[in-house]
Amino acid sequence: MATRRGFVLALIIGMVFLAGWRSLAQDADVLRDEAARVAVVDKVRPAVVAVFARGGQGGGSGVLISDDGYALTNFHVVQAPGPVMQCGLADGVLYDAVLVGLDKVGDVALIKLLPKKAGEKFPFAVMGDSDKVREGDWSLAMGNPFLLATDFTPTVTFGLVSGVHRYQYPAGTLLEYTDCIQIDTSINPGNSGGPLFDMKGELIGINGRGSFDKRGRINSGVGYAISINQIKNFMGHMRAGLDSDHASLGALITTQTEKSGLGRMMVTSILEESDVYRRGLDIDDELLSFAGRTISSVNQFKNVMGLYPRGWRMPLEYRREQTRKEILVRLMGVQARIFDVGDKQPQPPQQPPKGIKLPKGPPSPAAKFYQAKQGFANYYFNKLEQDRLLAGFRKLGDFSGLAGMWTMDGTVRLLKLKSESKFRIDITEDKAKDAKVFRPLVKMTVGEFPYQVLPLEAQDPTLLRVPESSGGLLTAMYVYHQLLNQGAKPFSEFAHGGHEPLYPPSSDGKTSKLADLRVDTEVLNTRLGPFLVKWFFALSDQKLLGYEVRLNENEDPCEGYLSDYRAVDGRQLPHRLQVVYGNTSYGTFTFNRFQLGTAK
Amino acid sequence: MKRTIGAAVILLGAIAAWPTHVPAQQPFTTVAAGVNKKMVKLFGAGGFKGLPSYGTGILVSPNGYVLTVNNHILSTSDLRVHLYDGRFHHAKVVVKEPELDLALVKIEGEVEGLPHFDVDKASSQPLAGAGDWVLAFSNQFQIATRDEPMSVQRGVIAAMTELRGRRGIFEAPYNGDVYFLDAIACNPGAAGGIITNRKGELLGILGRELKNTLTDTWINYAVPIQAKADIQRGDKSDTVSLASFVRLGIEGKYKEGEKRKLVDKGGYHGIMLVPNVVSATPPYVEEVMPNSPAAKAGLQPDDLIVYVNGELVTSIRAFRELMKHFGANDKVTMEVQRSNKLKSVKLELTEVPKLTK
Repeated sequence: MATRRGFVLALIIGMVFLAGWRSLAQDADVLRDEAARVAVVDKVRPAVVAVFARGGQGGGSGVLISDDGYALTNFHVVQAPGPVMQCGLADGVLYDAVLVGLDKVGDVALIKLLPKKAGEKFPFAVMGDSDKVREGDWSLAMGNPFLLATDFTPTVTFGLVSGVHRYQYPAGTLLEYTDCIQIDTSINPGNSGGPLFDMKGELIGINGRGSFDKRGRINSGVGYAISINQIKNFMGHMRAGLDSDHASLGALITTQTEKSGLGRMMVTSILEESDVYRRGLDIDDELLSFAGRTISSVNQFKNVMGLYPRGWRMPLEYRREQTRKEILVRLMGVQARIFDVGDKQPQPPQQPPKGIKLPKGPPSPAAKFYQAKQGFANYYFNKLEQDRLLAGFRKLGDFSGLAGMWTMDGTVRLLKLKSESKFRIDITEDKAKDAKVFRPLVKMTVGEFPYQVLPLEAQDPTLLRVPESSGGLLTAMYVYHQLLNQGAKPFSEFAHGGHEPLYPPSSDGKTSKLADLRVDTEVLNTRLGPFLVKWFFALSDQKLLGYEVRLNENEDPCEGYLSDYRAVDGRQLPHRLQVVYGNTSYGTFTFNRFQLGTAK
Repeated sequence: MKRTIGAAVILLGAIAAWPTHVPAQQPFTTVAAGVNKKMVKLFGAGGFKGLPSYGTGILVSPNGYVLTVNNHILSTSDLRVHLYDGRFHHAKVVVKEPELDLALVKIEGEVEGLPHFDVDKASSQPLAGAGDWVLAFSNQFQIATRDEPMSVQRGVIAAMTELRGRRGIFEAPYNGDVYFLDAIACNPGAAGGIITNRKGELLGILGRELKNTLTDTWINYAVPIQAKADIQRGDKSDTVSLASFVRLGIEGKYKEGEKRKLVDKGGYHGIMLVPNVVSATPPYVEEVMPNSPAAKAGLQPDDLIVYVNGELVTSIRAFRELMKHFGANDKVTMEVQRSNKLKSVKLELTEVPKLTK
């Protein structure tokens, strides 16, 4: 009896003690979490931007992403102010800022704040990985809702991620929110363009939209942020001052369901001029995955398509009857469909891009960093990126003084011959006897077979594709020679094209997963005579990794992949060239000797 | 003695280790994923007059019974259900209970082993209270289709009180106690969604979109899973619980209550309006019958009826529709405009007088 009473007594005393201890412990947890939250807010606050039109009209929010003043916001925030604006930071200082690049369809704009004195460093937010965000995660939204803060101190709201990989149909004609993050974190007018942070303080999205219905255009418990991973894909384009476009496949995909069960994603129509059609996709094929993501609904398909800029090549898997195939698809544009007619009209020069109004009033100090040009958000920054890229490229070798004939020889393994042959390529740019202009001539011999082309004279396009199964290797060699020797000068169009993935074929010829071959590059889009040429440079050192030469937008280019760089007379030169045309490899060239401009 | 204290310490250790405490900032990813599997997206009638054609439901049995709100989307022969894994099925309404404003739907075709909520078990738990922390799950705004998960929101139960809501001029069918939420959870399509506690345990069903009769604002609320309603079957009245509705419904034994008479015969007011000539003729009084409730209330010819019980009436048709909801002995307040001034009058409706010669 006594023991039992002792047990009960001990238990009661213990429970009272525990109850007290546990509530204390709970309070401690709450306090700790609160302190952690406050610390995160303190850390990220300085990077939050209040965006205004000059003179304080309208506005929204933004976030700094680099110490030299680049900041992200929404396209619909910069639409009203135009190419120059003013930005307030949390410390109360107002900066002039200029529009850099646009992703209109994705509702994103990149702007640059001008430092008050040269070399001044800005606070900035670190970009996270939005693919790791899950529904049920906590998040912080910051910005200037209702333009409350006249001293620019950002407002912070805290809430749950309600969903990820959400698709929101275009509002109006363009603004489409694909693969976005849905939050119950309060988003109101003025929050647009502001950052969404995870609880580590990493930037996971740009807040820009909500589902509004009968409750008016204020927080309805359903807000959307553009995922930072999508923005990263467009960052190279925006940095280069481009008015970038989103991607479309060129084929219509619809869900087909039996009476019940899972749907199948079927190709129901396809554009014959699309790259995806030339790569082999056809009506009644079943789409399995795109860009590494399994596709089982139309929303998912639109989500993943919305992640990429026009012109990118991404892997696609499909099934025809029992065979699974993986192809690499060049993506078509979105805006072209809408603006096609307008863009083909001759445009008066120096017109600002569509949707951007020129500012009124006295010129902003930021105006000297703005240069209008059709197809660009701000050409000033494109020029900046071109110059940086070319400077890096020239560091690897200066070929500018090498006039006269260029000769390269070595061995080549052509796909159709299956054996190794010797080759020699001569590029001459001689003046014809009576002509006043240069007459470029490219000759190639492979074994006993001679080829030649006059790249700037031939009229019939088929004569320019020499050898035919290479898609135009000789003209490609000529254009390559021009880039090395003359830089930007001979090109009638020359622009930085942002970032694009490149998929150099594996050197052992084995087919592996396309995604494993991917190398991220920065590109130049150029035109020389009738040729459209895209150049791919390594992000790290601007080494030329590949090119695409074509005569028309909607046809397969001659692709060249350059590798095995080694120094020749102090200049880095590729010793391997893999040539691909359409769905097949033409051959692999190994260079043994370069003779650049010495022989006459 | 030593042993007993030792035993008590061990027992206390076990209690202390019991995981009742959830850190304030823990993410709800696992909970959300678990709850989502037990929920369905519904697609049916609607798509006009601002009525969504989509809604939310929860699985309440392994073989495809779905509990949802008895609203307009069910009025179709082509009701479709999307499961959490992307599977698509047709479905049929099994039984409805207007007094609870709930319906039971069955997925057609063979399905088995589906993750589901145990409504009996959930309803045996104590009610949640004001200040309790909840998660709300629904397919509001039709954000999700196929295998895309429900939207999850967090909120706090602000109050538990009687539902006084209406949609347009119709009152809420259910008028028991509900959880009022501080989260904006009752968006289009959210009806039939749920609130749970932090562990994902079912607390209540999000109701149809309603406006508060007092504040005229859209309200966010959930019907507790322990809800009961009085229903009329013939002469007998009965009290049914939400759980018994689900249980008996699945067994095929549930009998619907009689429809509550939302529309009365309309009491007698004695107002004769001007001829209804255009589609939105303003309700001007043409004549007031002598000794009628309107006469007693002091209504006069040329008065313009603006509000009836706080409801704006913009046309003769709207006025007549509205008056159908009242019966004899009902008290009705009208605001009338008389020579640029608003005047409030109270009418006590009567039976329609028999015609006399």
